[in-house]
Amino acid sequence: MNDRQQIEDFLYYEASLLDQPDLDTWMTLFTEDGHYWMPATENQHDPINHISHVFDDRVMMEIRRRNFVHPRSSAKDWPIRCSHIIGNVRVEDTSNERQVTLVTSNQHVVVWYRDEQRVYAYRGTHELIPTDDGFLIASKRVDLINPAAPQRSLTIYL
Amino acid sequence: MKNIPDRNFDALVKPTKIHRSLYTDPELFELEMARIWGQAWVFIGHDSQVPNPGDFFTTNINHKIPVVLIRDKENRVNVLHNRCGHKGAKVVEARSGTARGALRCSYHGWSYRFDGSLLKIPNEQGYEGTGFDAEDPCYSMQALAQVGSYRGFVFATLSSNAPPLIEWMGGAKDCFDNLCDRSPEGEVEVAGGVLRYEHECNWKFILENLNDTMHPMVVHESIVKAAEQYIATLPPEAAQQRREAEIIPPFGASYENYEDSGITGFNYGHHYDGGKTSIHSDYSVDPEYHAAMVAAYGEQRTQEIYAFNTHNVCFYPSLTIKCAIQNIRIIRPVSVDRFIVETWSFRLKGAPERMLQRTLLYSRLINSSMGMVGPDDLEVYRRTQEGLASPGNEWVEFHRQFGRDTELPDRIMGGGTSDLDMRTQYKAWKAYMEGSIFDGAGQ
Repeated sequence: MNDRQQIEDFLYYEASLLDQPDLDTWMTLFTEDGHYWMPATENQHDPINHISHVFDDRVMMEIRRRNFVHPRSSAKDWPIRCSHIIGNVRVEDTSNERQVTLVTSNQHVVVWYRDEQRVYAYRGTHELIPTDDGFLIASKRVDLINPAAPQRSLTIYL
Repeated sequence: MKNIPDRNFDALVKPTKIHRSLYTDPELFELEMARIWGQAWVFIGHDSQVPNPGDFFTTNINHKIPVVLIRDKENRVNVLHNRCGHKGAKVVEARSGTARGALRCSYHGWSYRFDGSLLKIPNEQGYEGTGFDAEDPCYSMQALAQVGSYRGFVFATLSSNAPPLIEWMGGAKDCFDNLCDRSPEGEVEVAGGVLRYEHECNWKFILENLNDTMHPMVVHESIVKAAEQYIATLPPEAAQQRREAEIIPPFGASYENYEDSGITGFNYGHHYDGGKTSIHSDYSVDPEYHAAMVAAYGEQRTQEIYAFNTHNVCFYPSLTIKCAIQNIRIIRPVSVDRFIVETWSFRLKGAPERMLQRTLLYSRLINSSMGMVGPDDLEVYRRTQEGLASPGNEWVEFHRQFGRDTELPDRIMGGGTSDLDMRTQYKAWKAYMEGSIFDGAGQ
């Protein structure tokens, strides 16, 4: 199997965990200092000095996961499920000093929650670290096509 | 508006309860837009968004009426109806930007100075001898009935009867002072972008929730527990670095803590909780920031500024601010069961950038549509919107500590878990809707 297939398979695997959603396993795909970032504007350079919809490290992912399964979390009274379709996968860069594989993709996500389906579309940017048995995610950036539009509550990672 | 029958507001608003139709009736919503949003001072924007002549920012003053905030060549900040004096097209379409030379309508090319006055009409000779007078101000972009500004915060009103902005704000004005005084230079500026969050419910729910201190320990229990319990498992040196540990757990404060914070209400529906203490009181103070504050104000005044610690301040109906956090939320009604909340963050001029970063962290954690607090609030608003469709009970009650409020000449004070904030805003709601709100104002 070549690198490209491995990369695509990894993205599909990550998406399948988010589809269920299985956040416990999904979190383990990230490096210990990994991040998940959804900017709030186009071409955003900075998650610290500009507002974002979410910018989570592993600690915040764990807090969010615990909230997600907490019986008193009222937003979770209804099941939530997703369906990711991934296309236009491009392996942008594998030759840098950090040994990071930079991958971009287009992702369309149908989210089902409380008798309603919603559609999100984003350009995903993954920084992947090759490991002995696959990859770890150093960062995942989710650039919604409408990041500055009024967003409705989003209680799941896309 | 004329086709909407007037209502008997005495039958809808009682001292300790309101009728459920206030949240569900589309005609009442239209009346609110005309009588509350059409009379009150509505927050439009901040000076720092338009630093140079030609800089503009557009928004709606109620659910529909488009306005533009623009700085003119005399350095005045104007709020204009965003409507061409010719056929009525919206002149400025972009949300923000810088106009060069003049504002030009994209339909027939009429152009306007930044103060709204008509500059030029293409092929003007066609108007000669027709009785048309280009000097008649009716062909300008019209200024709002009144525009006012306090420490850079620009408000406008569609009513020429509204009292001056400073009088309308009353004692709630102290909160703008405290927000700005938390800057070593006494000034704040908009920074770090905007969050826009769609709410599928009536706009009043968020204003009622701001100082509803009986809900946080219920609605936010899960995230408070998740954050507290997980952060407790981290090594102490790692836990100390987590600013989330200061921000999230206080939402789970006890009834006693909230009671101590107190609620203060003012004329025209404004209110805040806290003052001496709030859920933001125990935030650590950045040493570099503190040094800049002491250098600017001295130790005693600095401590006074820190000590005025409100949680949420509501300038009814359009704005809520968090002085201690330096963010604001702006209410943008859309329809009877939909509104948008915009969250803006502010930089304290002269403070280290870490202060803005904390503000942005707070906005992201708490006020984002993917936040840890806002989505649970919206969930209960949505359930209330659905529940109030039921005629099983026609009323929504707010009796807590009724009769125990302390009335002072310019304000009403009560316990932090009282419904004083509800009584304050619905007294104003009724007076706006009856048209009597500004009777006697300014006299």
